[in-house]
Amino acid sequence: MSLIDVESVPRRTMTLFFLADTSGSMSGNKIGALNDAITNIMPMISEISNTNPDAEIKVAALQFSSGTSWLYDEPKSASDFIWQDQSAGGLTSLGEACIQLEKVLHRDGFMKSASGSYAPVVILLSDGGATDDYDKGIEKLKLNNWFKAAIKIAIAIGDDCDKDELKKFTGNLEAVIEVHNIEALKQIIRIVAVTSSQIGSKSTSATDATKQDQVVEEIKNQIDNVDGANTAADPSQATDDYWD
Amino acid sequence: MDLKKGQIVHLTTGGMTCTVIEELGRGGQGTVYKVDLGGKKMALKWYHIPPDEKFYKNLQKNVDAGAPSDAFIWPEFLTVRENGSYGYVMKLRPSGYYEFGQYLLARHQMKSLSAIFAAAMKICNGFKLLHRYGYSYQDLNDGNFFIRPDDGDVLICDNDNVYPQGEKSGIMGKARYMAPEIVAGGIPDKYSDRYSLTVLLFMLIYLNHPLEGARVAACPCMTEGNEKKFYGSEALFIYDRQNNTNLPVRGVHTNVIRRWPAFPKLLRETFMDQLSQEKLKNPTTRMVESMWENVIAKVRDTLVICPKCRQETFVEGSQTTGKCIECGAQFDITRRLVMGDRSMVLTPGTCLFIDMDNKPDIKVQTSSSGEMMLQNVSTSSWNVETPSGKIRQVNVNDCLPTRPGLKISFGTSIEGAPNAKAEVK
Repeated sequence: MSLIDVESVPRRTMTLFFLADTSGSMSGNKIGALNDAITNIMPMISEISNTNPDAEIKVAALQFSSGTSWLYDEPKSASDFIWQDQSAGGLTSLGEACIQLEKVLHRDGFMKSASGSYAPVVILLSDGGATDDYDKGIEKLKLNNWFKAAIKIAIAIGDDCDKDELKKFTGNLEAVIEVHNIEALKQIIRIVAVTSSQIGSKSTSATDATKQDQVVEEIKNQIDNVDGANTAADPSQATDDYWD
Repeated sequence: MDLKKGQIVHLTTGGMTCTVIEELGRGGQGTVYKVDLGGKKMALKWYHIPPDEKFYKNLQKNVDAGAPSDAFIWPEFLTVRENGSYGYVMKLRPSGYYEFGQYLLARHQMKSLSAIFAAAMKICNGFKLLHRYGYSYQDLNDGNFFIRPDDGDVLICDNDNVYPQGEKSGIMGKARYMAPEIVAGGIPDKYSDRYSLTVLLFMLIYLNHPLEGARVAACPCMTEGNEKKFYGSEALFIYDRQNNTNLPVRGVHTNVIRRWPAFPKLLRETFMDQLSQEKLKNPTTRMVESMWENVIAKVRDTLVICPKCRQETFVEGSQTTGKCIECGAQFDITRRLVMGDRSMVLTPGTCLFIDMDNKPDIKVQTSSSGEMMLQNVSTSSWNVETPSGKIRQVNVNDCLPTRPGLKISFGTSIEGAPNAKAEVK
């Protein structure tokens, strides 16, 4: 091998987690829009990963309803990840989802990259309130160091969502984004996933703002152009729900 | 607000306008459109959210001052504030150049070692001119540099973030590229730029970050706090002279492990000096750009064509026999062209660069009788004095033999080195 030939610099891994509520209340347009949106953003996430010398992006997805299940047994490269359309039915085991997420947020779980990782991004999508022991799950999850360092954004689908539960997950209401119609849901999934992947997978900018702050700020800037979306910290901007 | 095809955008210069042709790309800060400006195709960067008044004024100042050199894709026109934002017009990036990050990911590869060092020279020159104009480069990262793989020509982009020294634009570069004192919260200036220059050069040459060795690889989760530590308060060069706890790891940092010992000692010594704890902690002691240019010129003086395999190889300056880093062949390197403290090794096929403009000035050829000759590939004739005192003129494309004692006066033939003199030894 000639000295002019080189291999790629070692890259860290940044794992993008989707925690998707597939309970009965998501049926119809909501689950359809979620399936459609996640499928459509994958090429964008793959592009961010492929052009990024700092880190490779991997994707993992957990669906929760009466129980929970991971789409795949390990995080997949953004270019290899294929979203499998979900159908809606059953209860909302958000507490169990927290337990399952906590289980994989370890070096012997999903975070075993040889050249290290950046803190993961966790995007929680839900339209209701937990029907199991949420507090037990979230309290355990909040003790996990990977989760503490993660960029955490929740997308609250519709007015029936329990924003306080989501606030416990993200740490503050600024990172809870309410959506009130199908188009807003699709756009917000794209904005949140792309923005958090861009910021989460790169070396931090030399400022005092945390990556979480930067993601929230950027989402806030973009949310103004989306009809039917607002941060839960700013409910005065909320519009009426319309899901037909 | 996005712009539409056919939309007319007004510029601050004498009532001029440009017309949007198509969208070229979308970044975090803004969208770049191809525009028509009086029949000429240009690029317009349009901000998603208009940065503040200070930023706008600074852009206008940079437009008025003009580009420091042709390496910069510089703001040439500023738009008025309209449609909820503003933007600036610059030249379109020509094809054949790829983002620096693409080389780091090995998606593109430099075509030769001389192209790598030409790129290094051009980046140094860009920084030197920028500082000469009183600017500093604040948002420095692997997305700002575009390199042509064939010859190492460099274009420096995203120059909206170039600010007078001592002022802070508010848009900061990636911690991996910023000096420790900036990662700790300081304001970028020419001294911190010099650190960033060293990092860029190291990455260009060795394809590895200079602070990323065993210590950094062992960090499972690179949080913001850890980045502040590894690139700021506890920054440690992988080949630090006193501390070997951050050495590159076999199987992980492959490129630097292969190239570090094979490339010239002068480079190793310079990087070990510039990334020593002393220089990391004392910004004002970092080497100025013109010194880097001298180092790269000297390194290039030892980059020759192997007479056996015809590939490029480095030969260490003071030796009489060179060993090819590619094929291992040994060959004579006693014949030199000496200029001040520079000693250029002569082997057939090697190009010599007298000044820093990346254009070869001399090509070493072989005559029909097998004698090594120096061909004048500069812009005008040289005067050559023989040991007996006779003067001969060597016109462009003509050759002179490599006989010891011949003295060359380059006159005005080399723009960046007027009246330079050299001697064959």
